[in-house]
Amino acid sequence: MNPSGSMGVLEQTEEERLSTPNLEPSVYSDNPQERIQARRLRIAARLEARRREALGEYIDGKKESEEDQSKSYKQKEESRLKLSKLLLCGTELVTNIQVAADIREIHRRVEEEEIKRQRIEKLENEVKNSQDKFDEITTKWEEGKQKHIPQDLWEILNTQQLHCAGLIEDKNKLINELQQELKVKDDQYVKDLKKQSDDICLLLERMEEQVKDIMKSFRQELSHIEKAFELERQELLTSNKKKWERALQNHNSKELEYLINRIKKVEDYEKQLNKQRIWDCEEYNMIKIKLEQDVQILEQQLQQMKATYQLNQEKLEYNFQVLKKRDEESTVIKSQQKRKINRLHDVLNNLRSKYAKQVKQFQEENHSLTSEYKRLVLQFKELQRAMRHFAIIDDEKFREIWLMNEEEAKGLIDRAFDVDRIIHIQHLGLPWTAPDFWFLKNVGPISQQQQKTATQIVEEVLKQADEEGLEEGASESSYLDLPKQISAKTTRKILMLLCDESGFLIESKLLSLLLPLEKNECYLLRLDAIFSALGIESEDDLYKLVKFFLEYRAHHLSASQISPWTQANLERSSLMEKSLMSEWDLEQEQEAESLLEGEEESSVGGEQEEEEAPPSPKLIHPNEVLKVLEAFVMGLRKPRNFRAPVRMTKSKRDNSKDSEYWKALATVIPSSTQNLWDALYTALEKYHLVLTQRAKLLTENNSLEQQNSELQLLLQQYLHSKINSELQIPPTHVFRVPTK
Amino acid sequence: MQGALTPPILSGPSQSAVSNQGLMPTASQASNIAPQPSKTFSSSGPLAAKTKPHVRRMRRIIAEDPEWSLAIVPLLTELCIQHIVKNFQKNPILKQLLPEHQKKVLSHLSPDLPLAVTANLIEDENYWRRCCTQRWPVCHVAKHGGSWKHMFFERHLENLLKHFIPGTTDPSVILDLLPLCANYVRRIRVDQFLPPVQLPASLQTRELSDSGSEVESEEPTMDHYQLGDLVAGLKHLEELDLVYGVKDCGMNFEWNLFLFTYRDCHSLAATIKACHTLKIFRLTRSKVDDEKARILIRSLLNHPGLEELDLSHNLIGDRGARAAAKLLSHSHLRVLNLANNQVRGPGAQSLAHALAHNTNLVSLNLRLNCLEDEGGQALAHALQTNKCLTTLNLGGNELSEPTATLLAQVLAINTTLTSLNLSCNHIGLDGGKQLLEGMSENKTLLEFDLRLSDISQESEYLIGQALHANREAARQRALNPGYLMSPIIANVPGNSVE
Repeated sequence: MNPSGSMGVLEQTEEERLSTPNLEPSVYSDNPQERIQARRLRIAARLEARRREALGEYIDGKKESEEDQSKSYKQKEESRLKLSKLLLCGTELVTNIQVAADIREIHRRVEEEEIKRQRIEKLENEVKNSQDKFDEITTKWEEGKQKHIPQDLWEILNTQQLHCAGLIEDKNKLINELQQELKVKDDQYVKDLKKQSDDICLLLERMEEQVKDIMKSFRQELSHIEKAFELERQELLTSNKKKWERALQNHNSKELEYLINRIKKVEDYEKQLNKQRIWDCEEYNMIKIKLEQDVQILEQQLQQMKATYQLNQEKLEYNFQVLKKRDEESTVIKSQQKRKINRLHDVLNNLRSKYAKQVKQFQEENHSLTSEYKRLVLQFKELQRAMRHFAIIDDEKFREIWLMNEEEAKGLIDRAFDVDRIIHIQHLGLPWTAPDFWFLKNVGPISQQQQKTATQIVEEVLKQADEEGLEEGASESSYLDLPKQISAKTTRKILMLLCDESGFLIESKLLSLLLPLEKNECYLLRLDAIFSALGIESEDDLYKLVKFFLEYRAHHLSASQISPWTQANLERSSLMEKSLMSEWDLEQEQEAESLLEGEEESSVGGEQEEEEAPPSPKLIHPNEVLKVLEAFVMGLRKPRNFRAPVRMTKSKRDNSKDSEYWKALATVIPSSTQNLWDALYTALEKYHLVLTQRAKLLTENNSLEQQNSELQLLLQQYLHSKINSELQIPPTHVFRVPTK
Repeated sequence: MQGALTPPILSGPSQSAVSNQGLMPTASQASNIAPQPSKTFSSSGPLAAKTKPHVRRMRRIIAEDPEWSLAIVPLLTELCIQHIVKNFQKNPILKQLLPEHQKKVLSHLSPDLPLAVTANLIEDENYWRRCCTQRWPVCHVAKHGGSWKHMFFERHLENLLKHFIPGTTDPSVILDLLPLCANYVRRIRVDQFLPPVQLPASLQTRELSDSGSEVESEEPTMDHYQLGDLVAGLKHLEELDLVYGVKDCGMNFEWNLFLFTYRDCHSLAATIKACHTLKIFRLTRSKVDDEKARILIRSLLNHPGLEELDLSHNLIGDRGARAAAKLLSHSHLRVLNLANNQVRGPGAQSLAHALAHNTNLVSLNLRLNCLEDEGGQALAHALQTNKCLTTLNLGGNELSEPTATLLAQVLAINTTLTSLNLSCNHIGLDGGKQLLEGMSENKTLLEFDLRLSDISQESEYLIGQALHANREAARQRALNPGYLMSPIIANVPGNSVE
């Protein structure tokens, strides 16, 4: 391994590491740590580039320093490589002994194995041989036993002995061999031990040597590295010193230049100053002369002024005297005025206090009065409430009393009628008819009929219309409330029209609610809504409406004929008409259709129209309904205003008819009948008298009859008693005699 | 303080000495007091005797003595501390003192104090450091977790175990120590176990070995110390490093001395099975054969903490290796060392089978076995699927070219292996070239030992270059872990070709 080559390579890698540090961690890597690092590097590189651009000329110097740095780095790397190599070699050197021992051991084992195998083979051979020999000997023994001749036996024995000896010898030889081997092995063991101890010694030696070497080399390398650093430092120092000196020289030369410049400038300034001084002197002198002249002129003026001053002083003194006098006068006046002011102030204060007092008083009064007023109002309200309450109660009471009286009167009348009837039927034998008076049917206090509300009317109208289908003609009799000229039918039609045309007055919610209802009910509710919107409340209003419609129609037919009461409305509606003129054309087209409708309806209602007083008109065109309505509403508004107080008075009931009523009640029996009754009375009294006399006589008669019977009884008793028999002469005899 | 000053066992003379010192401190006396503490530790009796005449002589105040000054008067606290130190063995007072006083007391305590007093009372490292340096000239505190106290107790216990003679030594010697050292012993490393003494006449083990040869037949009595009780008492035991053998036997050598009996084996197996805190278990140079290895490994199956198993320099064959393979798949073993055993092809195959899907084992050492190509190829196949193993030692295994071919393929694929040792094999020239080819595609291997393996110088050099490049890349990775090293790695092959 040549160190220079490896170093070169290392340098190369080092350079590569330095030159391409930002390429290695990729921004697109999967490892987040790496990505972060990559970004950091990128940012650092950008900053570096910017800095370099800014510094520009320093790049060269920097490169130099980098080279310097790499010098020490080179030294470090070199040392490190050298040392690691040294370490590796050292350990190899040391472990070489172990490896050598290992391989020796392996060789020994192999050899041992071989020898062992040979030995075993040999032993086996030996065993076989000896076994053969032994067998031979044993067979010979058998042979020997068969021998009987001693010589033979001896011979055999000898041979046997020989054989045995041979066998033993063989064995001994083997044993010797083995022992020899053992000895050799022992020797070898000792040798091995020695060798091993030598090895260990060598190992120790090498280790020590290695330690020493490494220590030495480490120290060397350390000193090398230190030297390299020292060198680098010194180089750096010298270069810096040079730079410093250069800078110092530069500085000095610049200082000198500045000094020279400064001296030159000082001289210049001195010259300028001198020039300035001379010029100033001249100017000063000129100004001085001029000013002296000025002073003289001014002194002259001063003299003049002094003269005028004295003159003025005298004048002023005189003026002063005059003014003093005036001042005195004015002080006197002032004091007078002051006194007056004081007086007036006092008055003012007095007045003020009075005013305040009065204000207070009035406020209090006001307060008290307002409270009084409030109280009174309250009282009044309470009174009103009480009055209302009492009115109600009175009404009730009145009604009750009325009812009671009426009942009483009616009872009396009934009795009278009964009596009259009895008199007529029983006593006079005349047929009796009950008199028929309106007030008899009346119950409760007489009052004006309640006005029906518009909706009730409408309901009635509608109901009427329904019923009309069943029974014709009945309408006239039941519909007495309607004005004569208006039939129920027309009213209904008008209302229907109104209902159809002025649907906009109804709330949409209501419409949706109305859908499922019957036709009539639906109309009713819709009309109700419309009326409430138009402000039609009472029956009268409704009739007015109907009337209005009819008249409008009439007016429409004959435009020239304008009734005075619609004139004002029409004037207003004409304005509307103008705005509606554009629509007029369209409406005319529709008119044709509506006319058809109108004809149809008129044909339906033809039967009724004959009876109606106004000439049967064409029905109002639906488009005009709105106009009519507007006119009506305008018209209605006025009367509505003064209706409220009228209402109030209406609540008072008129008792004008009451006396009439009561009188009528009282005179339910006419005077002719009374006369009749008087006559009858006297006659009956007479009759009564007769009857009573007769009754008296009857009772008398009765009593006499009774007395008679009693007496008869007594007599009988006496006659039949025992005493009679005892007596000389019985009474019966006495009686008998007379009786006989 | 008062109690500490006047304990009932205080001897008369020393008391008077103290009081006299307190009452009249003279210059000469002060010079006496200064060395006093060092003397106090050893014995108080002679000191008292020694100081007494001095005090008698110095009773009077010598006014004109220019050296006399009040500053020499020792503080009362100083005196109390001295007293505490002197009587520490009988009345240990430490926890009640202020921290600075504690420090002073500890710095003056003698390292010879009985362990029963100091073991659970003193935590101060400096005291135990003094104890250690006094007893042993060489102390590697780093090997004992950096704690001098741990070191003291571990070495003390090891010493006791080393010189324990079964049947002669009282077992309570060790068991008495147990409550004292239970909290501090993390590791037991014993490199000799003495066999029981056969002849009552010879008390020394070395003498015993002579007679041992005569009574060779009494083998069952050769059992060693049973660790069961001791290990059960050690709550924090993590490492157990045992050698059943005798050191320094010299010419008294006897095979008997190095006998790991079946009873030993069974008791040891039960012991390590019961010890759940155990992490490292080493049993080396103890003639462990297949049967014993199987007994031991069976007890280690599903052990909760075991991380390292070292059975190097034993007599384990294929069956033992098979048992070890089973252990691999039934434990969290990270390091397995079977160096210098008698594992052959079949054993290696079973190990390879277990290795193929193992995810715990980091280091496997099969140095100096007889795997041959059969086993080597099996292991190479296993490495193709294994993603965990970083260190593999196959030195001295009679491997040759076929294994090298397969390993070259593995090198191209594997990205976890960092260290591979194929030294002392017969790989040959072609095998070397193939390994070089495989190496050229590998970027992770940092160490590759091919010494004495019959490969050409050229390929060895080129492999060395490739390793160097890998090491550089690994260094760069370690220096700036966030950095993507692709350009430099790409640069490396060119470098190695050069």
